[in-house]
Amino acid sequence: MEIIAAYGTTMIILAVIFGLYMTWGIGANDLANAMGTSVGAGAVSVKQAIIIAIIFEFLGAILAGGHVTKTIRKGIIDPSGIINNPEILVYGMLASLLAAAVWLMVASAKGWPVSTTHSIIGALIGFAIVGIGPDSVKWTKVASVVLSWIVSPIMGGTIAFLLVMSTRKLIFNTDNPLKNAKKYAPVYIFLVGFIISLVTMFKGLKHLHISMSTGQSFGFAVLFGALTASVGWYFIRNVKEDISANREFSYASVEKVFTPMMLFTACSMAFAHGSNDVANGIGPLAAVYSIVSSGGEVMQKSDLPFWILLLGGAGIVIGLITLGYRVMLTVGKKITELTPSRGFCAELAAATTVVIASRTGLPVSTTHILVGSVLGVGLARGVGALDLRVVLNIVISWVVTLPAGAIMAMLFFFTLKGIFS
Amino acid sequence: MAFLPNSPLSGLLRGSPFKPIQEHMQVVFSCVCLVPPLFDALYKKDSKQLSEVAEQIKSLETDADKLKSTFRLNMPKSLFLPVDRKDLLSLIGDQDHIADTAEEICKILTYRQMEVPEAIKELLDELLEGTMEIASEAKAMIEQLDELLELGFGGREFDKVSQMISGVRRSEHNIDAILHRTRTALFAIENDLTPVSVIFWYKLIDLLGNISDQCENLADRLLLFLSK
Repeated sequence: MEIIAAYGTTMIILAVIFGLYMTWGIGANDLANAMGTSVGAGAVSVKQAIIIAIIFEFLGAILAGGHVTKTIRKGIIDPSGIINNPEILVYGMLASLLAAAVWLMVASAKGWPVSTTHSIIGALIGFAIVGIGPDSVKWTKVASVVLSWIVSPIMGGTIAFLLVMSTRKLIFNTDNPLKNAKKYAPVYIFLVGFIISLVTMFKGLKHLHISMSTGQSFGFAVLFGALTASVGWYFIRNVKEDISANREFSYASVEKVFTPMMLFTACSMAFAHGSNDVANGIGPLAAVYSIVSSGGEVMQKSDLPFWILLLGGAGIVIGLITLGYRVMLTVGKKITELTPSRGFCAELAAATTVVIASRTGLPVSTTHILVGSVLGVGLARGVGALDLRVVLNIVISWVVTLPAGAIMAMLFFFTLKGIFS
Repeated sequence: MAFLPNSPLSGLLRGSPFKPIQEHMQVVFSCVCLVPPLFDALYKKDSKQLSEVAEQIKSLETDADKLKSTFRLNMPKSLFLPVDRKDLLSLIGDQDHIADTAEEICKILTYRQMEVPEAIKELLDELLEGTMEIASEAKAMIEQLDELLELGFGGREFDKVSQMISGVRRSEHNIDAILHRTRTALFAIENDLTPVSVIFWYKLIDLLGNISDQCENLADRLLLFLSK
């Protein structure tokens, strides 16, 4: 208890620094992946993408980010064994943050496709094993999180597959594809607004002291979907048959309808990312703040302070501005291989999956789900070529990241413990 | 810098394999387009023009070869494609054979001074016209690959390309008939020509026939894409 009283402020400052470092890394890498598809299709410029990211990342973090943060800060570890030594948990959370951030840095430098989510979960487990004891890890919860890493890309892929099939049936394989594209485009945009807002609002805004009945949630979601659909209709109403472009590729005009639609999926991807990935950086930070401010209470009964959510959002935005735009350009260039209609399907599928995962409090990887969605498009024979080596690398990185994060967290934990006591 | 751009997504998406195939076909088609001017020069006995056209064909054939090798080097086994990888590699191989055949024709005409017998001139023209027609049909068919991808190798594009495939088959059948008539005409005047000339004329007729056979092969490959 004395250690917390003596070094409380230092600990919070360290947690803020580590948390910013971690969220900066998430913004530099992850978010750029999530929005690269829209940039590549030319739906938004890099500048616009950053503005969209700032707005929707914050909205995602604030409106729907609480559930995952809760899982990270109290779902994985049971600290009841160290009630008398709260400083252990503080060291552990600091060590986990630092370990995850450093591992991400190493992996990125080597070009391994690791996930921020997987790093932080591995680090938390690692610390808990040595700091509190193997029994303190809630293994059933860990199992459900790991299972979600397998299920979520499959779910994203399935939704993407069905969306591609539906665009074929309703739009491409008809007598007048352009007319049908303009007819059904608002329906797809409605789906974007409706699903994302429904999942977020459905009994999900308790932390903002807004509670809505099922009917109210549905009503608002329909209203919000209609609003996005009408904005979308405004953008696509002027798309005309372009004869010269059609000579090269007969579906060129139809694809042009999908380009502005990717503006909406860019927004929803930023929202989804904010709702899930911000938690990786701020979960441990929130835990440290809660322990120190309560004077050594490890069970963390207090709610998530609002400023921590804002800080997480800010870290991600800084990462995007300083470095993420470069990744966005790299990814964007590659992603022109996806036609706008395919990119739309992949992003909508990924965003939906991530928001559902966020709502259930499962920390998932946005990038991996997007990879799953693109594979779903591929299964619908919708992409020229996909390199499956990347999928193999992702699987390998799963297997490596958990122990790597864990070992680093152990090292940092003992170092911090040595420094403070 | 600490966090380098590391994106599984940009590694996952590879360039569409159909674009290079279409580019390659464009070059091959240009090769075939130069075969009639080659015979024109032969009719006019203009050796300067003949060697010029021959040079063009040779350089286009080299371009096609390069495109083919680059394509093959960029097709690792780990690729997930909407069509079979082997079929794609065979398709570009078949396309390349067309350019090879055109080059072989122009080689014969450059190293050996051939005299065109009046009796087969008209039939040769008919043959050249037919060859051009089937080659442009084959090219149009390959150009549909983008559209096929957009519809997932099904639906309306399926019907359209199936019709193009049967079009190529019909043309090949017609050319077979012309080939037969040309050979018959050549046989009738065999005794008026030197034996070596006769051998080479048979060979040239065969090579022109090969072009249309290879175009039909392309149609068969495309049919494999559709049947999955």
